[in-house]
Amino acid sequence: MIIKTAAVYFDGESSTPQNVELFLDKNKEIFYFETQKNDWINWGIKESDFKQKSDSFIIQNKEDVSKSIIIKDSLFINNLKAYLKETGNVSWHQKLINLGFKVHSVIAITILGFIGLSYLYIMPYIAEKAVVLVPESYDTNLGNLVSKQSLMTNTVDSVKSEKLNQFAKELKLNNNKNLHFTVVNSDIVNAYALPNGDIVVFSGILDAMKDYDELVALIGHEVSHVNNRDSMKMLCRNLSGYLFVSAILGDTNGIMAIIGDNANTLQSLSFSRKFEHQADIEGFQILITNHVNPKGMSNLFKRLQEDKSDFSIPEFLSSHPITTERINDVEKMIQSKSFSVNDNPKLKTLFEEIKQ
Amino acid sequence: MLFTSFTNIFITNDEIDKIDLAFFAKSILKNILILQSNYKNKQQTNIMEHTENSLSKLKNYKLDFHGNGSDFFGILIVNWLLTIVTLGFYYPWAKAKKLQYLYGETSLNEDRFEFHGTGKEMFKGFIKAIGLFIALYGVLLFFMYLEMPAIGLILFYLAFFAVLPVAIHGSYKYRMSRTSWRGIRFGYRGDRNELVKNFFKWIGLTIVTFGIYGSWLAMNLRSYIIGNIKFGDIEMKYKGDGGDYLLMNIKGYFLTIITLGIYMFWWQKDMFDYYINNLSLHKDDEKIELESTVTGGEIFTLSIVNVLILIFTLGLGSAWVEVRTMKYLLSNIHLEGTIDLDTIKQTEENYKDATGEDIEDMLEMDFVM
Repeated sequence: MIIKTAAVYFDGESSTPQNVELFLDKNKEIFYFETQKNDWINWGIKESDFKQKSDSFIIQNKEDVSKSIIIKDSLFINNLKAYLKETGNVSWHQKLINLGFKVHSVIAITILGFIGLSYLYIMPYIAEKAVVLVPESYDTNLGNLVSKQSLMTNTVDSVKSEKLNQFAKELKLNNNKNLHFTVVNSDIVNAYALPNGDIVVFSGILDAMKDYDELVALIGHEVSHVNNRDSMKMLCRNLSGYLFVSAILGDTNGIMAIIGDNANTLQSLSFSRKFEHQADIEGFQILITNHVNPKGMSNLFKRLQEDKSDFSIPEFLSSHPITTERINDVEKMIQSKSFSVNDNPKLKTLFEEIKQ
Repeated sequence: MLFTSFTNIFITNDEIDKIDLAFFAKSILKNILILQSNYKNKQQTNIMEHTENSLSKLKNYKLDFHGNGSDFFGILIVNWLLTIVTLGFYYPWAKAKKLQYLYGETSLNEDRFEFHGTGKEMFKGFIKAIGLFIALYGVLLFFMYLEMPAIGLILFYLAFFAVLPVAIHGSYKYRMSRTSWRGIRFGYRGDRNELVKNFFKWIGLTIVTFGIYGSWLAMNLRSYIIGNIKFGDIEMKYKGDGGDYLLMNIKGYFLTIITLGIYMFWWQKDMFDYYINNLSLHKDDEKIELESTVTGGEIFTLSIVNVLILIFTLGLGSAWVEVRTMKYLLSNIHLEGTIDLDTIKQTEENYKDATGEDIEDMLEMDFVM
């Protein structure tokens, strides 16, 4: 069967459009037409490339793509498309494209869901496990670097620091690294641990404390972070999250990268809550091991709660589980676990000295 | 009587004769009318001459973008799927499909541009580009092994900077040769050694002037590259000047700070204008000038809506964003001139080596066009 239509031919030598009558012989599987120079040209279906545009259809010669025919006759185009489909001349890529908007949307949402799942569950798991591969010496070097930098901008109270170190020595901390405590003069009601075993305590939180058991709770909590290499885990998580997000969004644009980056920060904040919870449990254990009143831990959290500057941050944005929740958790542990409390005069004296 | 005749607007010569007027008044009035009609006639012939000229010489051109979001979305999603399934190896093919769509939906006078580059060509380039980077790092490691890291680093950076112009050259050569309109290929005829030499000179001057010369670097590079682009027997020219470009950017920078970022969109308009308005096409004595009609306000609206689309679709709307942007920019480029687009001759060779294109891609350089 032969069908024909009006078409425009470009011969690859000049840009002059040539109006031609294009014939398609379905049995012989060829196109043929007469150029304006009166040459007859035959193209086999197999030797041709087909391109569907929004308002036209282009046939090109595979050997020389500069030779092309443009068809605008929609009847002929539909006929040709049906014929190509019947004879199996549609590329697999074109078939995927032809699936249509609905199927594409489903694919997109599935991929997005898959990426989301691997970002939330698979990536952090792998990243955390990968920490084992990072040598401990790296923790130490990184910690030394950060502590040098952060202590440069702060004023260290060396007398109180010395006392705090003595205080910590009196405790059984199950530490696998040498610990070094530093007291920094600041109103901030907080403390932090670095991966090398450096623990920085702000005088603000020391001033807020009322008893030595609170200080033991604080030390226990921070030591747990060091023992579990939490900083390194966080770093690996953030880094892998960042790499993952930028790999996925890599070839879109800057705006998306920024959105992705911020999403990653939010994510890593809520990740760290798991670590905080773990540190609370282990800190509680240290209190019990040292026969110090575990009430100190809930009291410590009350000090954090009393601190106005920390008050308004909603749970989602805060890196610590909301303090009331932490207090409740500790109260539950106090009720469920058996422990004995012995007064420790040495710790008490040292605590009084630090408080001065 | 005098009064009535003056109020009559549709006054004719005959009528004036009939009116009994003082001789001087009559003659003055006559003279005025003669002058008036002479002027009118002259004007009319001028207009006629002008229209005749433009009919014979001025041609109509229209750039447009026909793509639509859901079609482009399909292309991108299939690319995405195949890239994930092949662990990234599909990337060169994905890039080819994307470029084929974007070029293929761009039209000049209703005929589409085309990108003929294939994934296979770009994959080969990709492998060569990786080989090159491995070799570069190999040299660095070798010198570190010899405990001469300084020499290794110097060589590494020299080679790295030498690769940049070579990559730009290769990328244009490939990209242009694989681009066509009505079967007429574009082509890049720049000389690689000349570009490398110039590039080093411009980079040197930029370093010596603490970056100020960077503006000239950008404009010189653009002029050199565009000046060497052929479209069949049509040549392209860019006449941007580093000094003007620098002043425009200084103005844009400070006004953006002063207006807390709002001027940014007008700065973008200026940059786009500066790029487009300095472009022209030449064939023998005839030419086509390009003119941008974008406005800061429209770019502002376009960008805000684009950002909202991206945020609310978690990035899936990037297809629509790109299509909207292409459509806006292309429909705001006007061409005016006398070149007959029906008589362009094929002059450029096929060129299939995509290595430069891939190096550029790996370095994420996009700074020329």
